[in-house]
Amino acid sequence: MNLKEFRIGIQSWFEDRLGLSLITKFLRKKEVPQHRHTIWYYTGSAILLFFGIQVITGFMLVFYYKPTLEQANESIARMITDVPLGWIIRSVHSWSASFMIAIVFIHLFCVWLTKSYRKPRELTWMSGIFLLVLSLAFGFTGYLLPWDDLSLSATKVGTDIPRCIPVGGLWVTKFLRGGEDVTGDTLTRFFGFHVCILPVFIFILLALHIYLIQKQGMSLPLDAERKKEEVKVLPFWPNFVYREMVVWFLLLGILFTVAIFFPPSLDKEADLMAPAPEGVKPEWYFLFLFQTLKIVPARIFSVSGDTVAVLFMLVLGFLFFFLPLIDHKPAGKKGKFITLIAYAVILYAVVMTVWSLW
Amino acid sequence: MKLKHSLFTRRQFLNSLLGGWLAALVATFLYPVVKFIFPPTREPDKVVLPFSGFQDMGPNSVQNFSWGSKPGIIKKDDDGTYQAFVAVCTHLDCNVAYLPDRRKFFCACHEGWYDEDGRNIGGPPPSPLRRLTLVIEGGDLIIKREGVE
Repeated sequence: MNLKEFRIGIQSWFEDRLGLSLITKFLRKKEVPQHRHTIWYYTGSAILLFFGIQVITGFMLVFYYKPTLEQANESIARMITDVPLGWIIRSVHSWSASFMIAIVFIHLFCVWLTKSYRKPRELTWMSGIFLLVLSLAFGFTGYLLPWDDLSLSATKVGTDIPRCIPVGGLWVTKFLRGGEDVTGDTLTRFFGFHVCILPVFIFILLALHIYLIQKQGMSLPLDAERKKEEVKVLPFWPNFVYREMVVWFLLLGILFTVAIFFPPSLDKEADLMAPAPEGVKPEWYFLFLFQTLKIVPARIFSVSGDTVAVLFMLVLGFLFFFLPLIDHKPAGKKGKFITLIAYAVILYAVVMTVWSLW
Repeated sequence: MKLKHSLFTRRQFLNSLLGGWLAALVATFLYPVVKFIFPPTREPDKVVLPFSGFQDMGPNSVQNFSWGSKPGIIKKDDDGTYQAFVAVCTHLDCNVAYLPDRRKFFCACHEGWYDEDGRNIGGPPPSPLRRLTLVIEGGDLIIKREGVE
């Protein structure tokens, strides 16, 4: 028996038992439309790329990280000074998180602006919003783990925000902190969220999200839908995948470059009794929220300003989640108002972020 | 397309070029991963202890110290000389104990025996206990890896 027969034999052994040809057949038939908005299709796989890097580097960091009050900061210090190439693994994890969130936002707004959430893709949008929340939760919980001055203060502020919500908010704060205050228990709890609870949910939702996209096929932009004209298509395998790989290598190059030249710092160990250091800031993707809370007046109509702001944000979040049900025009219609809102949100976030850095 | 005297086709050549390049790329990614997973060895070149802590040991007695992340054992013989061992069984890495009344080192995991100079004399241990060089210099007891100056 030569090598080729041997390979075919093994393949058919697995095929008889797993029946995976269903998937390979599907992927061979899958087509990607070509038009002037095709570039946005790449954002999805770019997110997956960075997510994959997060998983792998996360596995690695967990080999050395110790999630306790006494050892967290020290274990990272050891990791970036003592462990071979530890500094770069940590740097890649930190930067890749930022890259992933950035592309998640791009992905979100291009779906919003091209109105790709409309029927039949409402659930794809909603699962996407959950994925966004999970991604931000990953960022928020991961930020505490180095257990330095900055991360402690940012977490104190962040976990205090739910307290503004009149009913049940206090319990959310207590749940997140594992008590009244941010302590060593919070650290251990955040570690649990970060490496155990959130991953389970994100994998389930990712599977759903990707399944829905495969089931419904790529969404077409409005003008292509309206004209009902023939859209050029590209086979997914191998043509589109090769193009995606080019994008991946480009992004990997950028990621590793920034990770090597700008590794994140590690400040001195957090002291629960010390006053907050100056210049406490959350990660960049929370800056617009941070700035919003900073500028709301203390009282609005005798209600705490923070409560108003947080409730307002929550309502917006709900509307945002149900966007496909609110804007349920047929796929071809433009929806100028929704577009306008999207641009307004982008403008608001950018202005607030820049302001907070001023 | 295949030239008359060529061993492989152009496609085979390009495929292996691309495949080789991909393999090299994967290797460059894997290299730091593998490096990272295995931390540097923690064994010290030498350990310096105050001799005062060991001066009063009686003959045929032992005292423990940390040899990096392993236990070390210092033994005072009947003639007043000192010996130092890594107190780890050479069979499967269990920590050994010294039994003064039987004048033997004993490993409880699989009943391994060493004589008072660390030679394996019974049970599964394949080789003697690892010896460390011991020097007394002024008030210090210096324990070195064998062969380290």
